[in-house]
Amino acid sequence: MTSRVMRDFDLLLPESVAEVVDLLTRHKNNAAILAGGTDLLIALKFDYAVDNVISLALVPGLAELTFDPEKGLVIGARVTIADILKSPEVRENYPALWQAAKVFATPQLRNTATVLGNVLRASPAGDCSLALLALGGSVLLKNSRGEREVDIDNFWISYGVTARQDDELAMAFKIPPPAAGQKSAFRRMTRTTEDLSKISAAVSLQMGGGTCQTARVAMGCVGPTLVRLPGVEKILEGAEISPEVLQEIVAATAAEINPIDDKRSSAEYRLKVAGVLVKRVIGQALDNGGNN
Amino acid sequence: MKKHAITLTVNGEEHDLVVPSNRTLLDALRDDLGYTDTKYGCGTGECGACTVLVDGTTSLNGCLTLAATMDGRSITTAAGLARDGNLHPVQESFIRHDAVQCGFCTPGMVLKTISLLAENPTPSEAEIRHGLEGNICRCTGYSKIVEAVQDAGSRMQGTGE
Repeated sequence: MTSRVMRDFDLLLPESVAEVVDLLTRHKNNAAILAGGTDLLIALKFDYAVDNVISLALVPGLAELTFDPEKGLVIGARVTIADILKSPEVRENYPALWQAAKVFATPQLRNTATVLGNVLRASPAGDCSLALLALGGSVLLKNSRGEREVDIDNFWISYGVTARQDDELAMAFKIPPPAAGQKSAFRRMTRTTEDLSKISAAVSLQMGGGTCQTARVAMGCVGPTLVRLPGVEKILEGAEISPEVLQEIVAATAAEINPIDDKRSSAEYRLKVAGVLVKRVIGQALDNGGNN
Repeated sequence: MKKHAITLTVNGEEHDLVVPSNRTLLDALRDDLGYTDTKYGCGTGECGACTVLVDGTTSLNGCLTLAATMDGRSITTAAGLARDGNLHPVQESFIRHDAVQCGFCTPGMVLKTISLLAENPTPSEAEIRHGLEGNICRCTGYSKIVEAVQDAGSRMQGTGE
């Protein structure tokens, strides 16, 4: 072969969700789900070994991206990053997610990689995952005994580890409908835009009468998982977002994160810029979502 | 390891082949079918040398796609772009602007340009640079490539390509 060959595995091509669940029940942690495959295939070319790869390519119903103003957004397991970018409803109602999709990896990868795969990867540098953490929502999981939803706040356990059990298929991500006055934005720092983030931030603010009623503030690349910043959220909630409040947030951010040195940046640098990044992403959210 | 009987249409020609589960689309194209214009660079979806177009103008990395999941799909490689002995306008523009040095990235760059122009026929320089992310040229800068894309965009206006 011309190129690096993946280790041996059996590719299974089930044609229904029930069949996928049966295969997962049988093979458990000796099976991997293939949706986009942009993480899985790389892992299989290096140090990951599994005997069964279960492709979702022929499973109907999982490629749907549906928005309902009453029910919110449902992102099926095969919905790609490019599908998110093509959705006017996402752009209008969930700008943080649309903005994360816009700078996500490269066009080829956006055409292939899935939103749910990004969530399941449980990386602290996941861009769409960070937007989803700020927007809030849940992962819909299904096994042979039934379905359950896990709140995104409880889904990531540690680096690369999620609440999904080996026999569960992640069917969809569900985001609640946008509240009146909800504003959101995503922002990150990279050397070139196709790089993984050095540090990233996303917010979702519910504004009413000039004050922030509720806030979800999340950061990436500042700990083993993506994290929320409850101290910053507390400053925002009930406050008018004045320059003084923003300065308070800049000062408060560093105490809430625990970054490390790695090849993309240093802990010192991340601590220094984190507060400014949070301030800017709040400004971007208030500036009509900052879509451009 | 399981094997899969699939049909791939490559540059308009239908091929029946049997591939093992772990065969990438890139390896199927190059080693099973002889479409060596599709290049192997990094194998991890970062360089874009293995870019192909699927079912029209959607760009994918052949190195991160399993051939067995592409049954029945239609693939375009750079070798399939010419029509009746005439190069595609994007290929013409790359030649005119000397946007080729060693040439290794060129098939992927040309295909990616076609994909970009299908979505946005008149991209700005910033849009071209953003659109060509994921295709790396290691010979030189990207100025001539950007010029070639701009030129191709204006030449293709109204031609329906």
